[in-house]
Amino acid sequence: MTLETDLPTAAPIAPVADTAGTGVQDASRRTRRPSKPNALRSERPGVRFAAWAAVIVCGGFALLPVYWLLATSLTPRTEVFAYPPQFFPSTVSWEAYESLFTNPTLFNYLRNSIIVSVITAVLSVLVSAYMGYAFSKFRYTGRRALMYFVLSSQMFPQALLLVTLYSVFAAYGLLNTYTALVLSFTTFTLPLCVWMLKGFFDTIPDELIEAARVDGASRLRIIHSIVLPLSAPGLVAAGLFAFVRGWNDFIFALTLAGPDKQTLPPGLVNTYIGEASTAWPELMAASLVVSLPVAIAFISLQRFLVGGLTAGAVKG
Amino acid sequence: MSDRTLFQSPISRRQALAIFGIGAATATLAACAPTGTGAAGGPAATAGTGSFAPTDFKFSSWSLTEEAAAPAIKSLLSGYSGKEDVTIEEVSFPYNEYFNQLMLQVRGGQFTGAAHVDVAWLGSLAALGKLQDVSALTADRGYTESSLKAAQFEGTQYAFPWTIGAIGLVTNSEILGKAGVDAEDFPTTIDDFEAALVKLKGLGGGLIPYAASTKAAQLKDILIWMQTFGSPLVKNGTVTIGDDASVEAVAWYKGLYDQGLIAADVDRFDARSLFAQGRAALYDDAPVGRGAVTKESPDPDLASKLVPVSRPTLKAGDTPRALVWGGAIAVVSGAGAETAADFGQWATSDLDTVLADYELRGLPPVTEEALSSDVVASDVFGSTFAERITKTATSNPFWVYPQYAQIETTIAEAVQAVLIGQKSPEDAMKSAGEAAQKLIG
Repeated sequence: MTLETDLPTAAPIAPVADTAGTGVQDASRRTRRPSKPNALRSERPGVRFAAWAAVIVCGGFALLPVYWLLATSLTPRTEVFAYPPQFFPSTVSWEAYESLFTNPTLFNYLRNSIIVSVITAVLSVLVSAYMGYAFSKFRYTGRRALMYFVLSSQMFPQALLLVTLYSVFAAYGLLNTYTALVLSFTTFTLPLCVWMLKGFFDTIPDELIEAARVDGASRLRIIHSIVLPLSAPGLVAAGLFAFVRGWNDFIFALTLAGPDKQTLPPGLVNTYIGEASTAWPELMAASLVVSLPVAIAFISLQRFLVGGLTAGAVKG
Repeated sequence: MSDRTLFQSPISRRQALAIFGIGAATATLAACAPTGTGAAGGPAATAGTGSFAPTDFKFSSWSLTEEAAAPAIKSLLSGYSGKEDVTIEEVSFPYNEYFNQLMLQVRGGQFTGAAHVDVAWLGSLAALGKLQDVSALTADRGYTESSLKAAQFEGTQYAFPWTIGAIGLVTNSEILGKAGVDAEDFPTTIDDFEAALVKLKGLGGGLIPYAASTKAAQLKDILIWMQTFGSPLVKNGTVTIGDDASVEAVAWYKGLYDQGLIAADVDRFDARSLFAQGRAALYDDAPVGRGAVTKESPDPDLASKLVPVSRPTLKAGDTPRALVWGGAIAVVSGAGAETAADFGQWATSDLDTVLADYELRGLPPVTEEALSSDVVASDVFGSTFAERITKTATSNPFWVYPQYAQIETTIAEAVQAVLIGQKSPEDAMKSAGEAAQKLIG
């Protein structure tokens, strides 16, 4: 097993653009450039109008479903399917929210979702960081084949794996446990996380690692003290991806978890979608409330997410 | 830790990978080995009537978490657990996922006990060989003959009938009256029925005369119209779809669609919503739909305007067709099965229990005693539904095949191709019949 580079340590270090927010950047590029002209603040009214119109249309397109969610949650059940549809509820009803906060089962689903998603995210990042590093920085026979083999697990239909995983977990007595959910979610998150982090590690110059080796750092020290701190945006992006995967999953959570360990997606369906009718206002209210933690997490971490996801897209 | 100690070991990477691969394959194979004990194709055991010591058991139902039905089911469970001093473990899945999840759990041996099932699923569940024959427990309990039959498969009583009814036409008498159609004297032939739909269309205002199913997911409703036109659907193991009667039925349905007497993109949920909002005059539903439409309707008096009517027939004097609908309690062999069987019998035939359940859920009971009780007999909608629709209801002949859902989907997709003009009724039904025959084998 050897490091990718065979360059002598004295070789000149090429300037690297900080495309992924790694913090590794040539000093000559640190000078702040004048910001690009902003169409929204343009002095030409036509340009400004067109820019704002585009923002409003795109924003409306993205936010209309969220508004509809909110409006339905505040609409009395007898008016949900009123014709013609009403953009604003004629009567605002808080009943759906009242019933939401008096249903202890929903809090149990919420707790399960948080536990399972957080552990999935941590486990996925932990494992995929080491795997991604091995794929990015080591050269060995079968490396590429192994990389594509890992990725190929994404090609299987979920339903196919579900039955197999169900049998395996049943045989080991893991059904209706958090372990079953975390392991199954991690099965799906690992390949993409590994590839995402490999792309990120590729942007870290090998010369930096060589320099650390020359200074006497062990390989683990290099990973823990240099590579991982520089890869924080990538780790956050991978973690968020794994978290969302665990948070949104329906069919695995339904099949592998019993009533006590069920997460929000199957829990909400179980509670509000019945044989003969659906409690739309309650379902919308619950969906809105449980989306808030994820939305807040995304908003606060979105700058890492963008940096992490685009890492490796353009090699410096 | 140096690189040397980290990466050098007596076992090479290749050997380590090989060992890991063999281990993983062995573990997976061991885990996937069948664990079931029941022999497929027949009852696992016969539930007896002898004495037994009550034990804890599991009960599964899609209604356990449903807002409308849960209080009734929970009350039932607490009633039995208090009476016998046992603990009942609740298992619940959403209705649309319930069948697949139950099949998986029963097949894998994770579920034993009492299971609330749709009568349409009995054939598939019985094929797993784990359902008990409960005929000894249904004898002399006053179940109606038709309800017992609905919970049988190939002559074996695989479940206790619980709430047996049918799917038939439900009308809004007020809207019908505005068009000059009397719900109490509803057209009895298909020609008169179509004429009534045209009158309803004439009311305007975007009214959909008949909110019939037109989405592929629910287009299996066409099967009852095919039977009305005279197609048996299956005869001696041969699928008859593609015969003159089935083609004629689909051509008639397409005619209703082209005239705007039925609407595009409607399934059962849409139909209930349209009907509840007063935008449809009639639709197909089971008794369970009554609660949904009245709760969603802005009309507080809708319940009093609901009138179930017999499905029109091809010729005057023919027997109106309706599809059996209902729930039953099956007993899955294994831990707690004896107590589960006793629970099934008690929940479905004990008069006080059944009437208490009826008052909460309003679903048709299955014993003569309960049906003739004041509570049930005084429910005008329920008794009219039973008299005009359930009385002549029959099972779907495809239900005896475990592949029935695929067969229904195949036919539904073919009918949808006709409705949108992609295929002629003749071609679509011929190919659907052939595909269905292949599935049956």
